[in-house]
Amino acid sequence: MSELSKPVEASSSSPSAPKVTRMQRLRAHAPVLLTQIGLLVLFLLAWQFLPQVPALKALSHAFDSYFVSSPVRVAKELYNLATGNDNSPLIWPYVWSTVYASLLGTVIGMVAGAAFGLVMSNFKFLSEVMRPFVIGMNAVPRIALVPIIVIVFGPNQVSCVIISVLVVFFVAFFSAYEGGTSVREELVQNARLLGASNWRILTVIRLQFVMAWTLASLPLSVTFAVISVVTAEILTGVPGMGSLLGTAAVTGNAALTFGVVITLAVVGVAITLAADAVRARVLHWWGY
Amino acid sequence: MLDVADVTFAYPNGATVLDRLKIAIPEGSITGVVGPSGCGKSTLLALVAGLLAPGSGKVTWSAETVDPPRHPLTMMFQKDTLLPWLSVEDNIALHFRVAKSSLSKEQQRARVADLVRLAGLVGAERKFPYQLSGGMRRRTAFLTSVAPHPRTLLLDEPFSALDEPTRIGIHQDIFDIVKREGITVLLITHDLGEAISLSDQVLVLTAQPATVFGRFEIPFGKERDFLSLRENPKFLELYGEVWEQLAVQIQRSRKLPDTGAR
Repeated sequence: MSELSKPVEASSSSPSAPKVTRMQRLRAHAPVLLTQIGLLVLFLLAWQFLPQVPALKALSHAFDSYFVSSPVRVAKELYNLATGNDNSPLIWPYVWSTVYASLLGTVIGMVAGAAFGLVMSNFKFLSEVMRPFVIGMNAVPRIALVPIIVIVFGPNQVSCVIISVLVVFFVAFFSAYEGGTSVREELVQNARLLGASNWRILTVIRLQFVMAWTLASLPLSVTFAVISVVTAEILTGVPGMGSLLGTAAVTGNAALTFGVVITLAVVGVAITLAADAVRARVLHWWGY
Repeated sequence: MLDVADVTFAYPNGATVLDRLKIAIPEGSITGVVGPSGCGKSTLLALVAGLLAPGSGKVTWSAETVDPPRHPLTMMFQKDTLLPWLSVEDNIALHFRVAKSSLSKEQQRARVADLVRLAGLVGAERKFPYQLSGGMRRRTAFLTSVAPHPRTLLLDEPFSALDEPTRIGIHQDIFDIVKREGITVLLITHDLGEAISLSDQVLVLTAQPATVFGRFEIPFGKERDFLSLRENPKFLELYGEVWEQLAVQIQRSRKLPDTGAR
């Protein structure tokens, strides 16, 4: 993914390319879209009706609607979660709590990771000294640190944010480090011959590479942040999507579980799309 | 005046790349250097640029003081050095971004606009490198090196990746700009036609360890038309003579063990 080895088409933005209308694009995409909808409908029908076949029910829990619920029940549960109907808890504060902790963790983790990546990629000695520690730290599954973090910071949202920071930090750090070390020697020599000091080379060239590479990892980082926050919520019971899942498991409420999972999927897709859009806008010169 | 005086350079493994190399380039002139592959041409450039230190001998390129003071030396690299997040005009203005300049902001803008016009990049100022053709990228890289108004410019096989018609178009523009600005140029190339058409003198280096084997004065003056130049009988004659010497060195280099120098 190195900056200059990244394939970019010179003609990709050619103004003379014929404009494709929205309708034409939709028509070209129609067979794929229809097949996708068909598959989804087929899946929902199977989920709804297969567990009603007694022979299958006897075969496995996977065909028992007590355990796997049904699309109709899940839809109803989702409606209740969204509106607070039928004494259901409203899902929005839980969604917000998880999204907030994830975004905060992403921002802090990425800024810290980028800063460390920049410093380490610029100072070879420091990089060599720190290398084994960084690799060792990265090898530790961050979720294993949850108990320690909860003991230190308490079972609260701060702990959830810290865990997502720990996860995102390493994703961002490795991207940033890679970006900082991928600066080709000619670029540095060229800038030096143009009169740049070491400091200017750091701020004008290396920092840009580090930021670009870090930002390229944004969709991945934010996805990891959501996963780690939800996990931390399940383990600590801090209010959020994770704690709702915990409640659903304890009460044996399959419809609630699926409702939360579907909401998480929608939130995840929305966040990833937003992250992709941010990346495409900021890194347009990279061919995104 | 760019003076390479008895410069010797050896790699840590002991292989001598340059052997008491002597090159004198008069102020404001262009010297093309050709030689067999691996004879040490790029090493020579690195030494002149100060990126390597000679084992013995001396490179001087700013002995006399000039008024107003000029940026001492820049280099156009064989590989792409455009910064992909900067537009064409911001790339050209890189020197003004990274170093102190005696020009005001207004003068800097005027300088960039002037160069853009001379190199035929009008309309592409706001484009980013990924939107440019190979030729436009090279033009931009050239202007980046020229923007600081350097006394000396090193060209390291700068157009080797371009097709012939594009290359000749660029030759015309860079020749005109370099002559207008009075820049002393050291050009390393594999392309004999390029060396002869652009230079005021062409040097043929020997196979490793490199010394100057032959020197040719190029009599085409300060105003050249690069399209008709290639049909000029004198051009063809010189091409034959330079090629004859180069062929001898290529023949020699094939009998030598490869030391990995470039």
